[in-house]
Amino acid sequence: MDLLAQVLVNGILLGGLYAIMAQGLALVWGVLNIVNLAHGAFIMLGAYLSWHLYQYLGIDPFLGLPITAVVMFAVGYAVQRGLLNLVVRAPMFNTLLMTFGLEVVLTYLAQFAFSADFRTINPPYAGSNVALGPVVVPMARLMAFGAALALSIGMWLFLLHSRLGRAIRATAQNLVAARLYGVEPRHLYAMTFGIGIGIAGAAGGLYGTISQINPYIGGALTAKSFAISIIGGLDNPLGVVVGGLILGIIESLALLYVGATFGDVASFGVLVAVLIARPNGLLGRTA
Amino acid sequence: MKQVGMSVAATLWGLALAAAPGAANAADIVLGASVQLTGSLANTGRYYKDAYEFAIEKINAAGGVKVGGEQRKLALKMYDNQSDVNLSVRQYTQLVSQDKVDLLLGPFASNFALADSAVSEKYKIPMVQGGGASDQIFSRKFRYIFGTLAPASNYFGSTVTMLTKLSPAPKSVALLYADDAFDVSVADGTRPLLKAAGLTTAIDERYTSNASDFNSLLSRIRSANVDVVLVAGHETEILNFVRQAKSLSVAPKLYSFTVGVPSEDFRKALGKDADYAFGMTAWLPEPSLKDRWFGDAERFAQGYKAKFGYDPDYHAASGAADVEALAAAIESAGSAEPEKVRDALAKLKMPSLYGTLAFADNGQIDLPQVVIQVQGDDLAPVFGADGFIKKPKYPMPAWNAR
Repeated sequence: MDLLAQVLVNGILLGGLYAIMAQGLALVWGVLNIVNLAHGAFIMLGAYLSWHLYQYLGIDPFLGLPITAVVMFAVGYAVQRGLLNLVVRAPMFNTLLMTFGLEVVLTYLAQFAFSADFRTINPPYAGSNVALGPVVVPMARLMAFGAALALSIGMWLFLLHSRLGRAIRATAQNLVAARLYGVEPRHLYAMTFGIGIGIAGAAGGLYGTISQINPYIGGALTAKSFAISIIGGLDNPLGVVVGGLILGIIESLALLYVGATFGDVASFGVLVAVLIARPNGLLGRTA
Repeated sequence: MKQVGMSVAATLWGLALAAAPGAANAADIVLGASVQLTGSLANTGRYYKDAYEFAIEKINAAGGVKVGGEQRKLALKMYDNQSDVNLSVRQYTQLVSQDKVDLLLGPFASNFALADSAVSEKYKIPMVQGGGASDQIFSRKFRYIFGTLAPASNYFGSTVTMLTKLSPAPKSVALLYADDAFDVSVADGTRPLLKAAGLTTAIDERYTSNASDFNSLLSRIRSANVDVVLVAGHETEILNFVRQAKSLSVAPKLYSFTVGVPSEDFRKALGKDADYAFGMTAWLPEPSLKDRWFGDAERFAQGYKAKFGYDPDYHAASGAADVEALAAAIESAGSAEPEKVRDALAKLKMPSLYGTLAFADNGQIDLPQVVIQVQGDDLAPVFGADGFIKKPKYPMPAWNAR
């Protein structure tokens, strides 16, 4: 029983991290209709940025999150404005190709710049935990979970109530109508992509605090984010949170009860099941 | 007129010679290799690239190898397999069929060596590889594959012997291993050793390569309260394992890992959390290991560090030994012909910076593993063939008591 409780807590905390990693991918996909295959590479860059801030300037990875997010926002804005806007109207295959190329370039630039050595962001509290009865709650994961939840809710409120958020939603729903109301799509697309990448960068900082960083972590993170986006749906940041939590819990339970090689089987099994039963995501609009 | 024609021809001949790639003069003996220079295994792959280049440079500086009365230089033709097994097989095929290299050096990692050795076997060109330890590589009666890593099945051999000599005596063990050729071989070899040592295997679990989440397994380890955890996996997984063990306060009496502990960047990434971790190595840079080209293992390690800026571990020593084994075999065969070199390799017995290079009938070297432990800033050898070398820090204290 204790074991089950522990593994459920593990899964929920893991799910929070998954959710924040997927948030940017879902936003960009939902609004721009770009499946950003370089998403994980941007998470990786954010992780390196947080690592450098911590290692050389002594900035705590959680306090450094806004810096990482702002820098990565600027990177994302520039990439969309200078690169992806050129193909955003083209068939989806072109954007896939472009972001795939971007992924390769970013990964190899990262190896060139940072070498293939592993890095960890290791503040003193990274390994500490709090005990709730028999259940141990890792501190860094709990903080990452809190940050993920706060960012997701913040993004939800932003999309719902701010002027820019409304413009983003309007563009996602009907581009022509949005333009008639004065939305300038090139700028808006770049803002959206920038926000997505900014959140991805912040997720990278969290990831580096509880896992490890090397230039090649991106691919697996993109795949995971992709699955979560589909499970949660693209309409609503809270759906992504639900998707992340479900995936985190199911994976943890599968690793415990089915076998330690069945984590991916379980998560992609859920993905297939959701695609069959609710193709717009669990919280998505029903078709 | 005739003389002018001759001199033009001579000039053209000279130009043609000059235009040939410098690395592969006609007289050079070319060794081919495909190594992980990029991709997820680049981190360990670089040991092989650096070791191959370092050893070849050293041998050439000493005049090269003596073949039938003339000195010939060694050259290296290397490709980056991007940590992709399929690409690696294609590159070895290209090395032997198009680049026409004389002899082969290996890639890193057992699953690569397992696939690539099929190429060397097919083309009957000997491959000396120092990156694959899995017993599977050597159980197929291949004639052209030689390996300088000690057998995977015995990686935990010295560790298990040590377990029986510790007090308080550990009773239960968790054996975790990744689902690839090397780690499965390690687990298969370790199980009977544990049984013979009278230890209970409480958890015996295979996990997915590149797994990043060990919380479920760690929760089980704590719940079963095992004394010893043995993990056969890759460095990224073991990094995550140790970090997550700390964050869940899982501290068995002892844990040991097949990889990572001997590598400098692994210990750096974990910082203080690397303390108390056990591992094993078949090689330590000791001056007692005499070497024809480098003097001894200690001087090899110093030269390596000065040249590349990081400490060599057993992967690097194994890679350098591969080049030396080929060089020595070429000399004793008096030829770079694959068949003759193969026979010379099979008979080889020479001291080297890595230990005595001699291959069993199946092609694999046999070296004892020394148990090592991270003790503060030191990497201490604690248990070898002759018993304890240095007192192990055991049992491992709880994480909050460090």
